[in-house]
Amino acid sequence: MKNTGVLVQKEFREHSRNFKLYWIPIVFIILGIVEPVTNHYLPQIMESVGNLPEGSDFMWPQFQGTDIFVSLMGQYQLIGILIIILAFMGSISGERKSGTATLLYVRPMSFVSYFFSKWIVINAIVLGSLWAGFLAASYYIRILFGPVAFGDILKFVGTYSLWIVFAVTVVLTLSASLSTGAAAGLSILILFVFQVLDSVIGAFWTVSPWKLSIYATYPLQGDSVPTGYWMSLTLTVVLIVLLFILGAYMSKRNASKTTV
Amino acid sequence: MEELANIPWNLIMPILVLQLILAVVALIDVIRNKRTNGPIIMWVLIILLVGTIGPILYFVFGRRQT
Amino acid sequence: MTELLRVSQLSKIYGDNKVVDSMTFELVEKTSTALIGPNGAGKTTALSMMAGLVTPTEGTVLLKEEENKDSRASIGFLPQYPKFFPWLTAIEFTEMAARLSGVDSRIVQSEAQKTLEFVGLGDAMKKRIGTFSGGMKQRLGLAQAVVHKPKLLLLDEPVSALDPVGRRQVMNLLKELQQQTTILYSTHILNDAEEMTDQLLFLRKGELVENGSLSSIKEKYANPRILIEFESVEEAARFLSISTWTLASKNNFVSIDPSHQQIGMTEVLAALHADSFRIRKVEWQTANLEEIFMKVVMSS
Repeated sequence: MKNTGVLVQKEFREHSRNFKLYWIPIVFIILGIVEPVTNHYLPQIMESVGNLPEGSDFMWPQFQGTDIFVSLMGQYQLIGILIIILAFMGSISGERKSGTATLLYVRPMSFVSYFFSKWIVINAIVLGSLWAGFLAASYYIRILFGPVAFGDILKFVGTYSLWIVFAVTVVLTLSASLSTGAAAGLSILILFVFQVLDSVIGAFWTVSPWKLSIYATYPLQGDSVPTGYWMSLTLTVVLIVLLFILGAYMSKRNASKTTV
Repeated sequence: MEELANIPWNLIMPILVLQLILAVVALIDVIRNKRTNGPIIMWVLIILLVGTIGPILYFVFGRRQT
Repeated sequence: MTELLRVSQLSKIYGDNKVVDSMTFELVEKTSTALIGPNGAGKTTALSMMAGLVTPTEGTVLLKEEENKDSRASIGFLPQYPKFFPWLTAIEFTEMAARLSGVDSRIVQSEAQKTLEFVGLGDAMKKRIGTFSGGMKQRLGLAQAVVHKPKLLLLDEPVSALDPVGRRQVMNLLKELQQQTTILYSTHILNDAEEMTDQLLFLRKGELVENGSLSSIKEKYANPRILIEFESVEEAARFLSISTWTLASKNNFVSIDPSHQQIGMTEVLAALHADSFRIRKVEWQTANLEEIFMKVVMSS
């Protein structure tokens, strides 16, 4: 593992110089601010735009701060995960295709270090962005909707973060295993289509990584710990470990496919 | 329009500033790199005119990674 | 004459296609070897297997090295078209390459600088690789291949993509490296091979068809002839009628194969003089490497 540091430095330089280190957090923070602001000022915005029928006295739902956290998570579930897929689908497959990987693979480098360096740096960028987004949202929610218990936010963000690590690991492992296009397609299937399937027919089971985003909201709803919560967390951690092993193995197996 | 005046701009300001940073970073990159998927002028217009999404579209689809 | 590399029965089969077919050879320390063959002969695949990039279908590549050491640390590899991360500077890339290959972190910076200066990129080391020209990339490729002082340098067509000036410069660099390390390089340009080689490997359709020193291969295939040009066809005919040697003739030319007849230039000149033949030219001809290449590699 002595080469891990060099490879981590390379990944950080890469994402700093292709600006992912900057634009991804900015987008997550913008989402985190826009969500409470639009929800709070929606009635006024609609009135000022003025396309409500004359004299109508529309009742806007009274949102709580906790609702905004949940709806912001909805934004991250769609836009956030789409960004993760699009920004990182070529992390390994792209290096193979362009041939830039060749001059790494001919060196005495462990593929566990190689995969780990990408995994840790992408997770750092994505989790940092996610936390910055939720932090900005917390500030705005506190001003516009009133405070939400910090412990509840922490539990919520903590659970949701594990799902995000799962999403990153899925994308990276697929990038190690397949071409960039196939990795993107399969990532969308696993992270979006399976999510929909799980919510449609998932009433029959309680343990699944795709339920983590719903389970994550329990502290905000004032609910008790849902059945299957701890098992889902455990299963997701196990899946992340298995995907990591598969990803490191596949990067090594596909090393000879690099363009020479 | 007095409803708009009621909106506290100091809360909205950070959004505008972040969007500006995003657009400026994208523009600097597009001008310095000069290599895009598709015509460069198209990407400049997208960055300038398509709001928050414009710079993101550029970073994800317009930017040549290698 | 210490042996450094032993390649035995090395094969790579993709489907029905034997790209490299039971290649066996040895390399001696601090020698240069040219791997010669036409495009598609399997040169790149063979080098990729030796570099540890492609797993052989059969056979082994054995580098004489301390036990329990990753042999890739002792190999430097330059692909035909090296690809770099365009967002790194030359010095950043070379330092990364050195670190990954196990160069002591205290000397990484100075070693990388020295190597870049050696290949002539001293002034450009802080520039991003994305701005480099093809020739600069080729030199950076050489720098990353030698920065960790490998025992074996594998170079895939190191100069064929360069213009004549760049090619001369890189050839000179390679000649300097020749003193310090063992070089195996592929090429389809025979002038390069003739200029810098101790050993020649001829590859045809994945098969090693010839293996030997430049002089031994030249001797084997050179096919020397003595060619006489007479002033007229009649003179040539007169010579044919009195000579006891095995000859071939065409018009006013006569050619003699000296190899099996124990004759040389002296005997031929004496015979021509004795009967005062009127001649224009007598020439000793041998095939050059290009003709040998055509004969060995292109046949069948």
